[in-house]
Amino acid sequence: MSEFKPHQLAALERRVDAAPKVRGQVRYIRDLKIPGMWLGKTIRSPYAHAHILGIQLDRKFDWKQVVVVTAKDIPVNQVAMLENDMPFLAEKTVKYRGEAVVLLAAENQDLLNEAARHVRIDYKPLPAIFDVFASQVSFTKIFGDNNLFKEIAISRGNVEKARQNSDLTIEIETKTGFQEHLYLEPQGVIAIPEGDQVTIQGSLQCPYYVKRAIDNMFAGEKRITVIQAPTGGAFGGKEDYPSLLAGHAALLAVKAGRPLGMFYDREEDVQVTTKRHPSYHQDIAYVNKDGRIIGVELTIFLDGGAYCTLSPVVLARSALTALGCYHVPNVRILAKAVATHTVPSGAFRGFGGPQAIFAIEMLIEKIAYTLNLPPDQVRKRNLIRKGQRTATGQLLKYSVSARDTFQDVLRRSGYKKKFRTYQNHNADILKYLRKGSVSSLKAGEKLKGIGISVSQHGAGFTGTGENKINGKIRVEILPDGRVKIFSAATEMGQGEETAIRTIMAKALGIGREAVILSDINTDVVPDSGPTVASRTTMIVGSLLIEAAKEIVKKVKIDLSTKRKLSFTYRNGFFHNSSEKHAFQDAAKLSAGWSVEKQYRHPPIIQFDDILWTGDAYPVFSWAAAVAEIEVDPITFDVRVSRYTTSHDIGKAINPDQAVAQIQGGSLQGIGYALYEKIRLEEGHFDITGFTDYIIPTATEMPEFEVSLIENPYPYGPFGAKGLGELPLVGAAPAVVSALWMIFQEEFNEIPVLPEFLAKIFERKTGKNVSD
Amino acid sequence: MKYITLTFSLNGNKISLKTHGNRRLLDVLRDDFGLTGTKEGCGIGECGVCTVILDGKAVNACLILAGQLEGSEVVTIEYLARDGKLTELQQAFLENGAVQCGFCTPGMLMSATALLNEVPFPSEIQIKEAIAGNLCRCTGYKQIIDAIQKTAIRLKK
Repeated sequence: MSEFKPHQLAALERRVDAAPKVRGQVRYIRDLKIPGMWLGKTIRSPYAHAHILGIQLDRKFDWKQVVVVTAKDIPVNQVAMLENDMPFLAEKTVKYRGEAVVLLAAENQDLLNEAARHVRIDYKPLPAIFDVFASQVSFTKIFGDNNLFKEIAISRGNVEKARQNSDLTIEIETKTGFQEHLYLEPQGVIAIPEGDQVTIQGSLQCPYYVKRAIDNMFAGEKRITVIQAPTGGAFGGKEDYPSLLAGHAALLAVKAGRPLGMFYDREEDVQVTTKRHPSYHQDIAYVNKDGRIIGVELTIFLDGGAYCTLSPVVLARSALTALGCYHVPNVRILAKAVATHTVPSGAFRGFGGPQAIFAIEMLIEKIAYTLNLPPDQVRKRNLIRKGQRTATGQLLKYSVSARDTFQDVLRRSGYKKKFRTYQNHNADILKYLRKGSVSSLKAGEKLKGIGISVSQHGAGFTGTGENKINGKIRVEILPDGRVKIFSAATEMGQGEETAIRTIMAKALGIGREAVILSDINTDVVPDSGPTVASRTTMIVGSLLIEAAKEIVKKVKIDLSTKRKLSFTYRNGFFHNSSEKHAFQDAAKLSAGWSVEKQYRHPPIIQFDDILWTGDAYPVFSWAAAVAEIEVDPITFDVRVSRYTTSHDIGKAINPDQAVAQIQGGSLQGIGYALYEKIRLEEGHFDITGFTDYIIPTATEMPEFEVSLIENPYPYGPFGAKGLGELPLVGAAPAVVSALWMIFQEEFNEIPVLPEFLAKIFERKTGKNVSD
Repeated sequence: MKYITLTFSLNGNKISLKTHGNRRLLDVLRDDFGLTGTKEGCGIGECGVCTVILDGKAVNACLILAGQLEGSEVVTIEYLARDGKLTELQQAFLENGAVQCGFCTPGMLMSATALLNEVPFPSEIQIKEAIAGNLCRCTGYKQIIDAIQKTAIRLKK
């Protein structure tokens, strides 16, 4: 660089964690060299439901060089989560294919594999249930006495009256599939025992979840420290699962008396770790001919799998998101999370939201096509605005951007004009396809579609969650006058470190280099709550703002006492008519002092989680998206060519990173809509990794047109709300809306694979066009 | 299995290594040389996080066996900023926000480095194809493609 420009420096420093990453210097969990470390292996059930009759170790094998752990070795055999129903290892019964039964540890992989061949587990297979509807009426009990992890009913207004007063009733059933997170770094944990101490290090999102689970497992007999290693992507997949994995590692480490690494390869990772909850929706709308929705009845079933994990909270978010971005005065929502004999479903970016938004947006599509109205018009007629109430009666008092984001994407994408142009363009192609005369198609010609969605995501924990967690942070003034933040918020690629340091630096009016972060170690950092639910920037960020105010107050007092003068603080300087002190110089006087802050919702936010009424979330983030797609009329391959989206996240702390998050999340949502398919075969996922679970590559990337709308949240740091999950939520319905537009057919299930599109015409022509 | 002795170049150094011929280059790099910048994401050549440059071509180190290394030239992520200074491409990754969790980043940089060595001014399609074997779940690829394009322009000047 020939000359120094301040903005260039800012650009170089956009992300505080990026430089060591481009050098290949970051040590992820598998990159650590721990002397004397053994490896662990899990022996799993081949049955979805079976009694364990016995475990036999082959006497001819030399077991002296191997450590074996079974359920009998576990002090408290339950993974502490919402319900303590899931064991670390199955003892009498296995409830899903792939459930862990025996753990082995040995010096190397070859020996482990050899030892595994000498373990025999005898099972008596039992009838298994893979269907949420069968489960609810089955005599086979997976959870409780009715196989329901949770049931939620939300009611507002009078749905009966709405039905009577409406012009017509429109119904749709929708279905969404499993989704695998497919973080690039597979799960991995190392446990190191030293006397009564066990130190866990791993690729994980929520160090205190893991600590609580392992504390509970050892019944408080061990001292547990959890350290987050640099984490190569998570997306919710490293929220609940690491508690189980860390338990396995800790059990083997303690029994072996040496460090122990549990590292999943890709196949094991995709087959046994949590997935997004599959969903089934039965939705009814009572509408007027002009497209206005008078009332809705929405029924949601989520497939929770064999154990509860976080299903009740995922279900709550699904139910609370079910109405999407619309204002409907009469609402009945019934939501159930159902147990089946499959791998437990767990947290995944969006957390019940993507399923709910898909369902409501498809209901809107159906209304539009039934009434022969443009889909954008039906949306516009029903979009919620400030001053209106949600399904739980929450009055939206501030920061409501359903309409602004919607209008923005309509305008920037040229939706209305393209809708007509593409319809004309498609007319001939569709005619040939319907006749089955594929040979009349011009080479390379594609069907063109344009679709739209509106979505929202409640920022922070659902309902009373934040007040139960009471997240804490601590900020300390260092001897050199820099400040150090102690929080349990974790970086997993989303930009948390950058956001937190930026918020603190801005709040103090100092440079980001004067703000440092503690390592994420439960011995050192307080429990700020888990890094989930798009809550970190907003919740932890708001605590930082409060802490900053107290830091300024404290330093001002110390400085005034020393100088025997009074000071005011502005833009990083304490000053009065005769003196001026930079923050960092002045702060040296207060070295060692620290401030702790604990989160409570602003008192105006009230929620009743028995009646399901009130403020389900302190605030919502809003988004709209327009997806333009091309469909090959021969192969039915679908490509998203352009994706225009507008997000209101209150305030973007780092606009570049916000845009990056939006693009990444949108592409993950496009994958959910078009490529990412998992089939169940007798409770077994038919995927082994990237070969048969297809995620978007660079060649599937659309042109992104992203804009940010800043509609501030009065209680957020600088007005910021949550961002992390929202970009994924509205992507699938926007893509599928474009399919409705092209084919004028009902699309009610994702993913939409080419085979499905081919079948539309097979039905119409009786010919097999996909051959 | 018998040991074989291999002579090859690794990040500019002449190496003589006695090893089993069926070991993966990925393990040789990580275990024998501590070059952990090369990651493992799938072990079957699908995800690209183990990409290194072998004789000028981007390859998946999980699919190369030690026995294939005789007389070859291997370059890993650690070589790029060998004198401490980032390459133009690494710099562009920082400036364009092409890094999130960072796990795909080394492989992505190696594929893009090989591309720019071979095609000084690649089209967007060439860039996309060059990194189509490097999966990223965080970024949506846009910033990565921007970084590669901008590097090509900068290097041309």
